[in-house]
Amino acid sequence: MVRWIKRLPIVGNIIFLVALFYHGHTGVAIIGGLLNLAWALDEWFPSQIRRFFRPWALVINTAFSAYGVLSGKPSILALFLAGSSLLAWNAGLFLERWSDAPVIIQYRCLRRIGTLSALGLLAGFSAVVLQGRLTLFFLPALLLMLAAGILWLRIISKALTNRNHG
Amino acid sequence: MTRAWSLVTSLCLILLLAGLLLRNGILLALAFPYLLFSLIPFWRSIEEPHLVIERRFEPQYLLGGQPCRMTLSIQNMGNHLEEVFLADVLPAGLRVEGDFTYHGMFRSGQTVKLFSTGRGVRGKYEFSGVRVSTNDLLGMCRHEKFVPSVGTLSVLPAMERLERLKISPRRTRVYTGVIRSRESGAGVEFFGTRAYVPGDPLRHLNWKAGARWDILITNLFEQERVADVGIILDARGVVEVRVDGESLFEHSIQAAASLVEYFLREGNRVGLLIYGRMVEWTFPGYGKQQRARILAALAKAELGEHAVFKELEHLPTRLFPSESQIVLVSPLLRGDVSMLRYLHALGYRVLVISPDPIAFEKRFLPQDECTALAEGIARMERNATLSKLRRASVNVVEWDVTIPLRIPMKQAMVGMKRWSVG
Repeated sequence: MVRWIKRLPIVGNIIFLVALFYHGHTGVAIIGGLLNLAWALDEWFPSQIRRFFRPWALVINTAFSAYGVLSGKPSILALFLAGSSLLAWNAGLFLERWSDAPVIIQYRCLRRIGTLSALGLLAGFSAVVLQGRLTLFFLPALLLMLAAGILWLRIISKALTNRNHG
Repeated sequence: MTRAWSLVTSLCLILLLAGLLLRNGILLALAFPYLLFSLIPFWRSIEEPHLVIERRFEPQYLLGGQPCRMTLSIQNMGNHLEEVFLADVLPAGLRVEGDFTYHGMFRSGQTVKLFSTGRGVRGKYEFSGVRVSTNDLLGMCRHEKFVPSVGTLSVLPAMERLERLKISPRRTRVYTGVIRSRESGAGVEFFGTRAYVPGDPLRHLNWKAGARWDILITNLFEQERVADVGIILDARGVVEVRVDGESLFEHSIQAAASLVEYFLREGNRVGLLIYGRMVEWTFPGYGKQQRARILAALAKAELGEHAVFKELEHLPTRLFPSESQIVLVSPLLRGDVSMLRYLHALGYRVLVISPDPIAFEKRFLPQDECTALAEGIARMERNATLSKLRRASVNVVEWDVTIPLRIPMKQAMVGMKRWSVG
């Protein structure tokens, strides 16, 4: 399951890269696409190469996101690229450590990665909206804010519960 | 914190700094997902694992090549651990097959058992403990701990079953054994005759001698008792010959173990002195426990270099009961003769089992004229040393280690009624 959760964001990365750089920076889109394709297939690489490759894939995707922002491309796409790279990298990290984890642990891990990625993306999204780079209608803005708030409260309460039990 | 955390935090800080320097709010917004991941260790603290570890070896003492079943039982007495990595810290040199690591969930109260099989060459293998690493599922923080759990596995030296050896120390102990005591009493070996005195058993009367002398004469028998045997293992680095990973010292240990086994089986009181880097003394004793003690000492015996113990002169003779039997297992050096003569002069009966270093080394050398010449010279020197010892009434058994020890022992006993002739 985690394997697919790693592969899907990588496919997402390719789509976001193409969407970001198709016009004007085709070379970057091709390089980025190939890099992410290699990342999706890295399970067949020798483990030493894989260990070396994964952090660099994250670094390069982050650099592409930053480059997209600086070159005036749509900031939401750059944000999604960074978020999905982080998601894929963390899922890969878990797979590297524990490839045959029980399903319950995989669920738990996915929930945490998903929550953090969603929260990060929402926070970034809010920041973009606050800067006036994106116009939102009242209803979607309210729904997003409510979702972010609920998520945030849930995380805080969970952290407090854990601390009290510890 | 882990390397993954360092990477995410570095990317977050780079994005934040770039955003601030370039006054670009979108770059700052881009840093948010990274920021959340890098804050995980501050949200979720990893529980300190509280583990109880029990280690078992079956058997604890084993012979070289024999497998030992090792069981490591780890119980979690603390809170639930989501991801834990347990690794038994194995001593160097031990070959282990099976599970000695565990990776997975560890519930509170759960017990994990790791079964493995260990094999090793002669030696003492000390297990120190278990390395415990607990991670959070996202791999952002880790807690490492070493939980001590000591255990010792001894691989004993190989032994050979020796046949009957006749030793005759000047002094024996009071208990019945198989060594002639040079005193008359209850026994089976004829010792002499004397005039009958009332109270002597009538069945011991020597009728033929009585008829000749016309008085009643009774037979005397030699008492058979146990004796004190001190075994000295020469562990000086200067006597060692090591070729192609094979060591002459290992053969000396094997000989010492075989002698210990033999003398204890015969009911004697046996002590062991390992003379090398220092003096390692196993106090004399009887029986199976003493056998285990001495074999454990032999299992951990190592060669050593020490200026004081370079010669045999500093052999602590007072450790051995006076007039007892001493068995030295050593390839021998020219300078050792004087000390062995001195031991004989003190009243000890000395038997030397000498693994032949020349025959041992020759197997690994090319068979040419130079080797033959060198062997001839070394052999002459060694023969001179051994004949000096024999002239000093020290019994010497020269042992080519390619053949079993019992064969040269048997050959040396032929024509010799007792070891202690002279």
